Amino acid sequence: MGPLYKLGWFDFAYSLQMAALTGFLFGFVLERAGFGNARKLTAIFYLRDFAVLKVMFTAIVVCMLGLLYFSVFGWLDLSRVYLLPTHIWPQIAGGLILGIGFVMGGYCPTTSVVATVSGKLDGLIFIGGMILGSFIFAELFPLLEGFYEAGAMGAVRLSNVLKINAGIIALLVCLMAVGAYGFVEKVEQKFGDRDTLPIGSKRMKRTGAALLVLFGLILAIINPDRIVAERAKTAPILPERRSEAVKPVPPKAEKSATPGFVIVEDEGC
Amino acid sequence: MMYPRYANPYVIGVLLGLVLLFAFYTMGRGLGSSSTFARVVAAGVALTAPDHAKKAPYLSKYVSQKRPPLMSWLVFLTLGAGLGGLFSAFISNRIKGEVVRGPSIGVSARLWLALAGGILSGFAARLARGCTSGQALTGAAELAFGSWIFMFSIFAGAYATAYFFRKEWL
Repeated sequence: MGPLYKLGWFDFAYSLQMAALTGFLFGFVLERAGFGNARKLTAIFYLRDFAVLKVMFTAIVVCMLGLLYFSVFGWLDLSRVYLLPTHIWPQIAGGLILGIGFVMGGYCPTTSVVATVSGKLDGLIFIGGMILGSFIFAELFPLLEGFYEAGAMGAVRLSNVLKINAGIIALLVCLMAVGAYGFVEKVEQKFGDRDTLPIGSKRMKRTGAALLVLFGLILAIINPDRIVAERAKTAPILPERRSEAVKPVPPKAEKSATPGFVIVEDEGC
Repeated sequence: MMYPRYANPYVIGVLLGLVLLFAFYTMGRGLGSSSTFARVVAAGVALTAPDHAKKAPYLSKYVSQKRPPLMSWLVFLTLGAGLGGLFSAFISNRIKGEVVRGPSIGVSARLWLALAGGILSGFAARLARGCTSGQALTGAAELAFGSWIFMFSIFAGAYATAYFFRKEWL
């Protein structure tokens, strides 16, 4: 059962190696998609190439389905996965400013790193700007602190706010993604450059879309919230299994399973 | 043609989703990168003005921990992302010194805009507690309420101002 680190499967030093490996894969797929090129990235804002939206939505949907199914199968304890707290006003303002920075500078933080390593000078300058921007924020923080904390709602999910169960939310997200794909492909065909748009067979796309909706529909029917709640009720089995899983690791593991271990300082971006 | 044809975005999306799921399963947290740059600031200030770094209310949260500010999961993730991007660009012969810009903008204007855009992004990412990967991607996959609002705000901000930067890209 995961998450492995929080259940004491490995220590901090090993986690940094995992970070480098995960980051390697992250940077690799971003560069494959062409996200080291500012013109490819910003083409979405001129309706010519929606690769950014397709990659983001697909990644979100795949990972969301993975998390929910893992939790249903009992492979991942979602309550131990860090959930970003909602602070609605700074998030809206930050999103708007980040969007302006994106179309102005051509990158977002991670893609600028990928751009820089592939030799783009504008990517490197963008990184310099981000460091400067972070410094300005830190220096102005006493003035911004009130706003930074405004609209705090805690770590809430869409299902908490909309009061619908997570399975139905998952189905809605799948439907929204499929609808968005269909819409942006039509827009691309109209405004985009056919030489740079991806090739792909219609049948593959239809199969993929059908699979997404099917996976979402299954979740909506089985209702992961209920399954996880029922499992928590039959709790006696769970701690036993956990201590079994932790046993092969030296005593440190016991300690890390306590709530005091949870790293909270910077689990955000 | 503005740029070459890259990998199919749906395939990349599936792979990126699996990388994100891997991070959740192993570490119990998602991807991210923007706090790396805040930690670089914290490390720089701690080096040049240690007293200020300890007193400054925002930087101190990075400095006062028991580990140095750069010994962090996200810093190593960003370093890895640089290596992964380098490897991918290398195998496709895409490593080339250049300034990416549209045909109707000069090099220096483009670089000034990159700097300004970077400053806005660095500021905004700290304000929103994350960027496109740490907030929008990671949070949205977990169905966090604020992350979905944040993601739509990014698109809103960019689409609302894209017209003013059209000469930079088209």
